[in-house]
Amino acid sequence: MHQFPRPAEEHLYAQRTPVDGTCGECGKAELATYRVLSEGGWWDVCKCQNCLASLSRERAPMFAGYTPLGLTVKG
Amino acid sequence: MLGADVGGTFTDIVLFRDGRLSVAKVPTDPAAPASPVIEGARRLGVGGVPVFNHASTMGLNAVLTRQLPKIAFLTTDGHRDMLATGRVWRPLDGQTDPRWRRTYGDADRPLVPRYLRRGIRERLLADGSVLIPVDVEQATAQLEVLRRCNVEGVAICLLNAYVNDDHERQLRELAHDVLGDVPISISSEASALAKEFTRASTTVIDVFMKLIYSDYAAALHQELGELGFDGELNFADCAATLLPWREALKRPFRIVFAGPAAGTVSCGRFGDAIADRNLICVDVGGTSTDVSLVVDGQPFVNNTFELEHDLVINALAAEISSVGAGGGSIVSISPSGDVEVGPASAGATPGPACYGRGGEQPTVSDACLLMGILDPSGFAGGEITLDADLARRAFERLDTRLSLEQRVAFAYRIAVSNIAEEITNVAIRHGVDPRDFSLVAYGAAGPMLLPAALGLLNVRRVIVPPHPGLFSAIGLLSTDLVFTESKSAYRVLGPDVAGELSQIFADLEARLRGEIHGADGVTIRRTFDGRLLGQSWETPFIEVPDGAIDAAAIEELVRRFHDEYARRFGNRFEMVPVEGVTYRVQLVVAVDKVDHPRLDAGAGDAEPVGRTELCYFADEPLDCAEYRREQLPVGSQISGPAIVREDLATTVVGPGQLATVGTFGELVIEAAR
Repeated sequence: MHQFPRPAEEHLYAQRTPVDGTCGECGKAELATYRVLSEGGWWDVCKCQNCLASLSRERAPMFAGYTPLGLTVKG
Repeated sequence: MLGADVGGTFTDIVLFRDGRLSVAKVPTDPAAPASPVIEGARRLGVGGVPVFNHASTMGLNAVLTRQLPKIAFLTTDGHRDMLATGRVWRPLDGQTDPRWRRTYGDADRPLVPRYLRRGIRERLLADGSVLIPVDVEQATAQLEVLRRCNVEGVAICLLNAYVNDDHERQLRELAHDVLGDVPISISSEASALAKEFTRASTTVIDVFMKLIYSDYAAALHQELGELGFDGELNFADCAATLLPWREALKRPFRIVFAGPAAGTVSCGRFGDAIADRNLICVDVGGTSTDVSLVVDGQPFVNNTFELEHDLVINALAAEISSVGAGGGSIVSISPSGDVEVGPASAGATPGPACYGRGGEQPTVSDACLLMGILDPSGFAGGEITLDADLARRAFERLDTRLSLEQRVAFAYRIAVSNIAEEITNVAIRHGVDPRDFSLVAYGAAGPMLLPAALGLLNVRRVIVPPHPGLFSAIGLLSTDLVFTESKSAYRVLGPDVAGELSQIFADLEARLRGEIHGADGVTIRRTFDGRLLGQSWETPFIEVPDGAIDAAAIEELVRRFHDEYARRFGNRFEMVPVEGVTYRVQLVVAVDKVDHPRLDAGAGDAEPVGRTELCYFADEPLDCAEYRREQLPVGSQISGPAIVREDLATTVVGPGQLATVGTFGELVIEAAR
């Protein structure tokens, strides 16, 4: 069964992982990858943290980090 | 007078001089849009021509295909997504489809990508008072990001700016300081009307059109000058009224949808000439069919129109419905095996298969060629030679068990049925009975398809006007110069608001007269858009009587509102109060217009120039007479089946139909009695 412990932080943020490279739109080297919920479902994106232009946008699993029980059953 | 209608496939140029009409049709060049206009003007000669009226679909096509410059959108903090959300209206077929996405939303093709839509910390209240002043530091930081992103223009639309424009002006100055001399439109200047999404989308389109048309118009003006043209260059707006080109470029969103409206205007004027004031106007082009109505001599003009579903623009526009059925509409087989026509189109490139430009899918034009309707050597005035083998092969490639004859015959009939369905929808929406109307068939493909709809629609008759392939361009020579100012204020119409409305109209008129030099000798037209109290949409263009607005005038306004409501929708609700929303003053400068030349009464009968075979129209090929239109005497009659050819169009008179040549050379097709 999934456990959802009460968070200790005051605010929750998507974990942003910095990546190398420069933004093709504004030229800043402030890229990061993270997951967003947008129209059409969850997406794994790489966005410039300065101007927020999306450099890549790939479909994430339908339920993001949550795996329904039915999909965990093998065989 | 010279008129140019730049379409997606062809650029039509018409010259009206000394009572004679000369025409040129030049293929449109998307890479150099001014070239075909200049080429057409050069062929016809522009020396001594006092007026050049111009309409183009270039801006519209740029929006539809999203071949757009990179611009930014600034709005009140927290509201940047209104540009992707629209009015949250879904089309009927999207009501139950969870995968449906609005075309201009972030999940599809936004006009301005989300990272270039920026919120500015400020807030005006609905009465125009300031709740939060513009946060200059935050705004500058946002503009710095846009500068690094190299935006080419900026649209600014702040909440409630139609009541108070101070914040928008302040932000515009700030944007110029940071971004330099880029085109910037503010909503309070572009379209100071209520409803922020429409104001925002209008402002965004305004910036796009500034970027698209500014250089084009200047180049056109210069090159025409080099050809010897020293008259007035005017641009047509969405209602096909004219604006001097520099005036048009002050708020160029008004010219985004100019071509189709010119056709409706042309119909109205031709209807006056032939004393037929109830018309269904049907323009069948290469990609789509545009349907509009003229009732009692007047077209329906709306205060908004949609570029795409729910993408609303605050421009005065002739009400036109479109269906994806034209000469270039692609014929395909559905998954269930049915023959389908459109909405996809082969467009100008590659065009129908028979053009021989690489198109492999069959189109309506290919069907008409195989049926014997189109002349392979005389298409588009000889600009294009058609290849029947390519058309046949395209139909043979369709994945269906139907015979070739069936494929071609069904394609033609379904194209006609699709158009007839749209015409019926328009008639029902307006509560009019097609039996009381004449159908005007124009556009290059109109005369070859629409007479076949006579029996489907039960209209009184089908009228093919002179020069049907250029009829929209002729409409550009049939309209006035019109300058417009408007203002929104929600007021329930009663004696208590008379003074305020009087002041609004006086201010608008003064502003117009101040902007336009030599404003004497013009007609002032005052109108308002109103609604029944509780409605969320307006009934536009209620005429306002001359003079000061007093209690009696308000009563008259309410009465006129109910009359117009009944004309448009067929119902009256006089028990419900009327709320005024937008007030408008138009300054109309009458200009010379085309008078269709009345032809001399002819003698004798129509003489065929040959005979041809009309295939796939009925069970057996039909032997039919072939006529040249310019040789038909006034008053002569042609019994169907027959084909009437002219340089830029072909008319099919079906079996059981009778065509009579009218006094202006129009063909009037009726069911034979």
